[in-house]
Amino acid sequence: MSLRIMFKMLQRHALMPTLVMLQVALACAILCNVLFLVWQRVQPMVAPSGLAEDELVLVDQIFSRTHTFSAAEAHAGQLALAHTPGVRSASSALGLPMIGMVMVDYNLKSPKGVTVGVNGYFGEGLVKTLGLQLVEGRDFLPSEYRDFGITQQSSDVDKPSSPEPVIITQSLERQLFDGQSAVGKNLSVTDDPEHGYFVVGVVRHLLRNQLTLATDGRGDNTLLAAKRIGDTALLSYAVRIDPAMRDVAMHGISETVKRQFGAEMGEDAQVRIATYAQTRHEALKSQRAALWLFAGVTIAVILVTAIGIMGLTGFWVQRRTRQIGIQRALGARRSQVLRYFMLENLLIAGGGVLVGMALAYVANGLLMHYYELPRLPWNYLPIGGAAVLLLGQLAVLAPARRAAEVPPVVATRAI
Amino acid sequence: MRYNLMLAWHGLKRFPRSTILAVLTVAMGLAATMTTLALLHQLTADPLPGRSGHLYLAWVDTVRAKPLAIQSLNGINPSNYHRIKLDDAQEMLHEHRATWQAAMTSVYTEMTANDAVHPHVKHAYLLATTAEFQPMLGVGLRSGRSWTAAEDAARAPVVVIDEALAQELFGSIQAVGRELKIGSHEFQVIGVSAPFSPQPHFYDLSAMSFSGSRRDLAFVPLGALLDAGVDLAGNDGCDEDAPKKRTMFGTDAAHCAAVSYWVDLPSKAQVDAFGDYLQHYAANQKALAGFGKPPRSELTGVGAWLSKQNVVPDNVRLNAWLAGSFLLLCMANVAGLLAARFLRRGGEIGIRRALGAPRVAIFQQHVFEASLICLLGGLLAWPLTLFGLWTLRLQDNGFTDLARLDPSMFGALFALALAVGLLTGWLPAWRASRVEPGLQVKSA
Repeated sequence: MSLRIMFKMLQRHALMPTLVMLQVALACAILCNVLFLVWQRVQPMVAPSGLAEDELVLVDQIFSRTHTFSAAEAHAGQLALAHTPGVRSASSALGLPMIGMVMVDYNLKSPKGVTVGVNGYFGEGLVKTLGLQLVEGRDFLPSEYRDFGITQQSSDVDKPSSPEPVIITQSLERQLFDGQSAVGKNLSVTDDPEHGYFVVGVVRHLLRNQLTLATDGRGDNTLLAAKRIGDTALLSYAVRIDPAMRDVAMHGISETVKRQFGAEMGEDAQVRIATYAQTRHEALKSQRAALWLFAGVTIAVILVTAIGIMGLTGFWVQRRTRQIGIQRALGARRSQVLRYFMLENLLIAGGGVLVGMALAYVANGLLMHYYELPRLPWNYLPIGGAAVLLLGQLAVLAPARRAAEVPPVVATRAI
Repeated sequence: MRYNLMLAWHGLKRFPRSTILAVLTVAMGLAATMTTLALLHQLTADPLPGRSGHLYLAWVDTVRAKPLAIQSLNGINPSNYHRIKLDDAQEMLHEHRATWQAAMTSVYTEMTANDAVHPHVKHAYLLATTAEFQPMLGVGLRSGRSWTAAEDAARAPVVVIDEALAQELFGSIQAVGRELKIGSHEFQVIGVSAPFSPQPHFYDLSAMSFSGSRRDLAFVPLGALLDAGVDLAGNDGCDEDAPKKRTMFGTDAAHCAAVSYWVDLPSKAQVDAFGDYLQHYAANQKALAGFGKPPRSELTGVGAWLSKQNVVPDNVRLNAWLAGSFLLLCMANVAGLLAARFLRRGGEIGIRRALGAPRVAIFQQHVFEASLICLLGGLLAWPLTLFGLWTLRLQDNGFTDLARLDPSMFGALFALALAVGLLTGWLPAWRASRVEPGLQVKSA
């Protein structure tokens, strides 16, 4: 049967196709946006961390209300942890992957004027302790580290006039230097233009700790600064262990922390000692909760749409039983009837998908305007659209099969 | 009309399978929408009904430092400066230009009840403030009194404690006259307050915003608390000529902008007058010359303050939109189901029409049927919504423990169900009322 006749049919009985189209359009708009939101949440979960994940233990929130830890105490803690059985190296650090409690925030600016927002990690020997893969340049020299603490932050301390060495990631190198080697090049920050930085090394990956921003190629927007932890009220350590001696090391680390800092922390100590995997699990809790929610929405939308299409098409098939019988009596084959209903659904759903894609785009525009969401990339639209079309075809299969089963003899009966 | 309603009820029972399907679909859509809306409703409610309309946050920029050119690419917006220095707060308190005014900041600290049977240590938030906070915020007193401006000036070590804290520390809410150690000083309990927990904690958002479990458990004169050596938490910038910092988290109250200054201004004229006063105050700060700062001041109402601080998490609104569009989808679905079942009984409609029923009657019957389905859906959505809110409360996001269905939202659920019924029923019912009597009778 030609498409023209099909259109005529649809026009004559406009209510049913309109309702199917409306459902498909809404489902398509919702699914496109949910798909996009899901991808926003999934990216931080799948981004490469660049760390020696199996060997990393993070010690966080060594905190005292009454006592300020001095640079010497921070360093003593680092030494004691490094000499714990099963531990390969330890670094006193400020800002650690998957720990959002303390975040260091830079607006880096390249000589060409490209600006990128990055997170920074401070600490002595972090390249080795975190197990980062250096692909260009070198690690910091021991002489390059400067103390960073309350004393150094005070306004009466002069800032160093020479540029400060930093290590960046390959992704940052691409963004800031257009694919050219970054080693030896200068950088500045927009908040404090007089203070300069220069790149000494480049690592393959290093995941930032502001996880909500680890999307759209920004996951590796991280730098290491040559800073040693000075006097502070809040200490944290990265510890790299021998994975074969995990239990020994974990126990040893806990004992060492208690011995070194137990007295100052007092009774309500909130220190957290956890492997990287545990910390990551905890940090991604809200992302996972959101994913469950989106999964629920997706399933509900699919169910409701499928049932809707099935119900309406089923009713329509029933209404036209007699016509189908006549067609069959006139020589139409079962497969032709089946194909007719499938094609009809494709046509209606296609119209719905077109409307739905426009709707999705408009909805995303509104969401982007009111909430901090990036623009829906156009390639989500055909993906969502195709998914909805496929859903429509699957849903229509059962009623179309029923239509194909109508015997030709129905044409001779009066219903 | 009663006849139409009866017909609608019979219609429901005719096709139980499609009725159940429609009711379930509507219930799912309604429950999703109401769960998100109930949370949004709790989070956007007026924190202090009757008072917040005339409370204003006053801010003057008197920090002797270069203005920071901060433009963050990392989504952190540090431009929401709102705190002022202690000296300015005291000066403004002394000049007393508003009906009520108080400087305040919430501090998390340690409190010890030494004269209890067992010495008891409690870590909690307390509000360091000045005398007029009590009438201004309307903090209720169970017993005793609040302190006076004279006691503020004398930096008297007195404290008003929450009844829950009194119960916990002293085993009774009759705690007036007892002593509580805060910082290095003993504070005398002069009053016991009723629970005071506006949502959000609008008067000091840097301490907490929404919390069903935490609140300020004590109210202490600001001066006396500083005397006891307790550090204030956080600041919006310090003077460049300030002495060296002692700790990472403590704030030097004399040189840093660390207190929020709230005023009560019941009339528009007072608001304008106080705005002018603030601007004059900022302009008269001679010491600021040389830092390249224009005199800046701001007077922000509670509503504007909350929206500027973006206290309602974006996710909550986003989920409400998502649930709303899901409800729309459910409505389209139910409209389809209804259209199918109405047209299936085209024969009956034809007979009714042929027997003289007007179109309006047919339309009414079918709209009633749709509304009944949606009301049933609403009834089913009620436990589903409660379940949804329960799962929300299980997630520990700080604000989710507020997810509850209050009576007004319960009413809204059924109003929404009815509206959904009328809306979805309208098109199929109209289509049913167009059925030609003759044609149907013939074919039947």
